[in-house]
Amino acid sequence: MDVAGLDNRLPEIEAENERLRTRVAALETELVDVQHRTNTAVAQFQERVYWLDRWHVDLNALMRRRGASEFRATLRAVRSVGRAYKRLRRSMGSS
Amino acid sequence: MKRTSAVIPVKDGDRYLEELLAALAGEGVEEILVIDSGSRDRSLEIARAAHVELLEIDPREFAHGRTRNLAAERTSGELICFLTQDATPCPGWLAAYREAFALDERVGAAYGPHLPRPDTSPMIARELTEFFSGFSPDGRPVVQRAGGETFLSNVNACYRRTCWEEIRFRDVAYSEDQAFGSDMLEAGWSKVYQPSAAVLHAHDYGAVEFMRRYFDEYRGLHESTGHVEPFAPAGAVRHVASAVAADRRWMAERDLDSLQKARWTARATVHHGGRRVFSALGSRAEKLPPTLRAGLSLEGRGGVAGESNTGTVGGEPAEGTGGGEQTVPALPSTTHVDTKIAHDDYDVCVRVASNGAAPLLDPVEGMADRERLRLAMVIPPFSRGSGGHNTLFQIFSRLERRGHACSVWLSDFHGYMRAVWPAVMRHDIREFFAPFEGPVYRDFGSWQGADVAIATGWQTVHESLLLDNCRARAYVVNDHEPEFFATSTERGLAEDTYRHNLHCIAASPWLRDVLIERYGASADAFELGADHETYWPRPVERRQDTVVYYARHTTPRRAVPIGLMALSELKRRRPDTRVVLFGADSPLHAAFPYEHLGVLTPEQLSHLYSQATVGLCLSLTNFSLMPKEMMACGLPCVELSGVSAESIFGADGPLELAPLDPQRIADALEQLLDDRDRWERRSREGIQFVASHTWERATDEVEAGLRHALRQRERATAATS
Repeated sequence: MDVAGLDNRLPEIEAENERLRTRVAALETELVDVQHRTNTAVAQFQERVYWLDRWHVDLNALMRRRGASEFRATLRAVRSVGRAYKRLRRSMGSS
Repeated sequence: MKRTSAVIPVKDGDRYLEELLAALAGEGVEEILVIDSGSRDRSLEIARAAHVELLEIDPREFAHGRTRNLAAERTSGELICFLTQDATPCPGWLAAYREAFALDERVGAAYGPHLPRPDTSPMIARELTEFFSGFSPDGRPVVQRAGGETFLSNVNACYRRTCWEEIRFRDVAYSEDQAFGSDMLEAGWSKVYQPSAAVLHAHDYGAVEFMRRYFDEYRGLHESTGHVEPFAPAGAVRHVASAVAADRRWMAERDLDSLQKARWTARATVHHGGRRVFSALGSRAEKLPPTLRAGLSLEGRGGVAGESNTGTVGGEPAEGTGGGEQTVPALPSTTHVDTKIAHDDYDVCVRVASNGAAPLLDPVEGMADRERLRLAMVIPPFSRGSGGHNTLFQIFSRLERRGHACSVWLSDFHGYMRAVWPAVMRHDIREFFAPFEGPVYRDFGSWQGADVAIATGWQTVHESLLLDNCRARAYVVNDHEPEFFATSTERGLAEDTYRHNLHCIAASPWLRDVLIERYGASADAFELGADHETYWPRPVERRQDTVVYYARHTTPRRAVPIGLMALSELKRRRPDTRVVLFGADSPLHAAFPYEHLGVLTPEQLSHLYSQATVGLCLSLTNFSLMPKEMMACGLPCVELSGVSAESIFGADGPLELAPLDPQRIADALEQLLDDRDRWERRSREGIQFVASHTWERATDEVEAGLRHALRQRERATAATS
């Protein structure tokens, strides 16, 4: 083994080690940040769906049921008719 | 060892047997075993003429699982193919199976489609074709693993010997293949649906025979998997109408003439309707009288699961078992009990015992000293008023406020909180205990890993040990929980939790010493805090005659019978003493009159402690929060000596201690009621003592314990590297 050669490279190896340590520390910090953001997002979501969870309503399961999409489409159609009627009344009122 | 063996169970199967054996020979199967259970047709003659191995068994010994195991034991091929006597392999069948097993070394079984024979009725032909094409829409082999499709059919299946040796067919009368399919996936094997390994197969029964066969099939399915076929008349009618319509489309595509279509439509209606009824009956067969069972069964089987060996064939006593000599004592009739739960409650504990803990991640240098950590706390089920959970969330919410990324995970193997969804659980935690801001998970499906996974009760430890992607595990121990149970499974499991090398953070020096001395655990201690914003001497007049007692009788470690006897004695000595009991929903039966206050909020408790003269709170295990909260309100408190209190307060500290003796406890109460100086001293010293016992301090101690757990990992790795 070339001990002298290794000795010469020691400062270089130590510098590389230090660089890697710094990088690991930065990645660790990033990991905690990501986890923190994930936690916040999930907690906010849980805050928002509290009443759905309290009433055991799974909207995804509900919308997968037969007729759900059609029901939604009907609602949208009814609402669009309602909006059109309101627009018409407004335009008639303003004229 | 031969490469491939084929096993064909036979009984009166001469119709297709010759064709089947010729096809197997043509495919190059090296070893063919026909196992005959009492054929009376030409089956034996055909088998002998084909020079295959023939094994004859008593028909009474036949059971689908047991007999196939016996046959497999008699063969030596690395691959064991099972066919029924009416399934003829199509060209390329064996090569297709070999291709399937080459996909992965953990492929334990493969199965192929059943193609209809030319004379098969349209409804069966359609169902077979549609059923199998559903497994592989693109016509390529499909690997099925745990959590996926469990279907497997011994009409046409091939097994890797090592897989069969490990799993083996269950000794069930029917559906042994389905049971094997789910067992093997659960054991980590996979299976392959190979569309190219086809057989010609059809059960050509008459309409009534078909129904009786469905009765047998669903009965077997129920006995092996617990499946109960749902049945609702309106749904059945809808199903029959849609199945008949599909059959008619199938017939139209194949240009059947009108007369044939009309004939098969009528037959299809009977077939599908009968199938719905008989499958529902079959899966409820144990509720039918034995005679009716035998009548409905194509096999004439009148007994229930597990009776196949008792000599009953076709509902009649079998040869040699009847007669007047009854040597077997009569037993009461059995009651069939369906599968009620998906897995046993303590399954997770067994998994830890069998497979050990999930490996921890390699430690990262300096991780114990990082400012912010990823902490995941695993909690047992909770309800309002749970003192242990209050401690946990007082501390965990503070750790969160210090910048650590915190999440909470419920471990609930009894399913106590299965009706509480995660957002509600989170809301309840915030309402009952502390303003925790992070997410709450009801199971571990979204587990993301953590720097420290924190177990918090004996029910959470085994689950925590199975969590992966952790740098360390710690165990916040609120009490010595084995003492909560008599000799029992729970006691044994609770003791076991201290022996898994989790770094313990115990809720008193006494508890820490118990863990170290009795279990050899590594442990730190923290001291419970008091919420000084809630518990302080309120500006209300303090009475001179009132003893308040935390009489939570549902918690045996609270020694309520002893406490009540002590108060009875006190009332005998001092009849004018006012006794107030709280902490239990309903009033207790006592040998003295008292006032009942039920379960109080912290604010109400603070007022109660500020008005009372002496508090009584007993604990046979670890010290609890309540005496500190009493002291924070200036209320002297009597506790048990010789357990854990001395480890915090000393033998003659601010707490009045008495042994587990009603007379001595009554003495201690009486002294505080009668001796004003003593009362003053205890009250003053109590306030002073608990002033420094804050939740911030407790959080410091727990955080130090968590970092200690990480540091231990760093040290252990440094020592081994």
